[in-house]
Amino acid sequence: MNRTALYNEHLNLKGKIVDFAGWELPVLYTSIIGEHIACRNAAALFDVSHMGEITVKGKDAESFLRKMIPTSLDRIEPYKCMYSCLCNDHGGTIDDLFIYMIADDDFLLVVNASTVEKDFRWLASHRMGDVEIENISDVISKIDIQGPLSKQILLQVLSDENVGELERFSFTHSVYGDRPIIVSCSGYTGEKGYEIYLHNELASRLWTELLLKGKDFGLVPAGIGARDTLRLESCYSLYGHELSDSISPVEAGIGWIVNSKDDFIAKDIILKQKKKGASRETVAVELMDKGVPREECEVKKNGFIIGITSSGGYSPSLKKGIALALVQAGSVKPGDEVEIVIRDKGVRAKVVKRPFYRYMGK
Amino acid sequence: MSSTPKELRYSKSHEWIRKEGSNIGVCGISDHAQELLTDVVFVELPSIGLEVKRGDRVAVVESVKAVSDVYAPATGKVIEVNTELEESPDAINSDAYGDGWIFKLELEDADELDSLMDAAAYQKHVAMGDN
Repeated sequence: MNRTALYNEHLNLKGKIVDFAGWELPVLYTSIIGEHIACRNAAALFDVSHMGEITVKGKDAESFLRKMIPTSLDRIEPYKCMYSCLCNDHGGTIDDLFIYMIADDDFLLVVNASTVEKDFRWLASHRMGDVEIENISDVISKIDIQGPLSKQILLQVLSDENVGELERFSFTHSVYGDRPIIVSCSGYTGEKGYEIYLHNELASRLWTELLLKGKDFGLVPAGIGARDTLRLESCYSLYGHELSDSISPVEAGIGWIVNSKDDFIAKDIILKQKKKGASRETVAVELMDKGVPREECEVKKNGFIIGITSSGGYSPSLKKGIALALVQAGSVKPGDEVEIVIRDKGVRAKVVKRPFYRYMGK
Repeated sequence: MSSTPKELRYSKSHEWIRKEGSNIGVCGISDHAQELLTDVVFVELPSIGLEVKRGDRVAVVESVKAVSDVYAPATGKVIEVNTELEESPDAINSDAYGDGWIFKLELEDADELDSLMDAAAYQKHVAMGDN
């Protein structure tokens, strides 16, 4: 099992360590709900160093990436990042990712922990021209600070006006402990926040300094339990759930990232889905009765199975069970009542518009 | 380390029972059990008057991470349930042996409690990894 550079910090904080994608990470420190609410009301600190970082550099880096992702690179410029994915030849998803443009010959891809090797092999096997691809995940740690007070707290530690001026989906190079770091205004919680990329040797120092200086603002460390409840409320996809090798971005409800005019992998399939609709779609449901839906619960309408949940859980903000479900396209619309089968019992739920919780940053 | 009050008795399935008076047993789930569940969000309480045998499923505790059946640690009749748990299910997490009590039984035979584990035996049971 793998450990991040912050493993001992988690032990010091009495984090409850579990196995996540082969990494020993804390599911919580005190309480999943407490950490979730702290993120929504003040700020929370996440160790997400298990995520992957892959660099793509060279004269042909941009034209290479234009073939690999369905999102137009016309939409970013140096020091901007954007959400995208890698599709396989059948239109399914290899991984979703964030792509950071440092220069037109220098890109950083931030990918899921469970798919780093798969993504790297996929990119490497499609490499052509003057392109160098490097997996730097092992040397890079990642700390997310998220919440309405995240900016004030971060500026206590990084007194860099470039950080203070970051708009959403912009990033900057900065310095910490005399070493270069990257700070982006982005995240996975639905709150305003920042993602910080730095060398492993600096992780402990930044983590402890943020917790110390953020204490009076109400900053708490938060585990992967809260990270999941936060992203689910925001309807952000989790690879392996809403997205997979057999689920396309259109079916997952992120068809908005498909906007490239370049000749990208599975272009014909994906564009056809976008234009005519795919055979399946992802909807958001809220339980009407007590219960917590999980993944892989059947979804029924008028007694007929129309699909299956891809993610489920309890929403601390709404105080009810919520789920995302992959269902037959056109079988339901917001306002419709459905049944989620939880442990052999149908529980009433209603289809709602995404997201359950709207992004609160500016 | 989870706490295990000495005056209680414990079942293998992580319920505790405290004798009140001569034949009432107050029941809940142990600190160890609530730690495994993490944040409790819903509790399905039994009906008053329900007659149960030791080992019967009597309640359900649902957390953010999992769902767990609660079994009767002794034979008897449910005479009271903790309705506070409807508003504050997290009492099971914050005070598993106090405000987190789940139901009270009128015991058929108070001596049945003697065959349950005492605190030391339960601690050993937990240490041996019998989740």
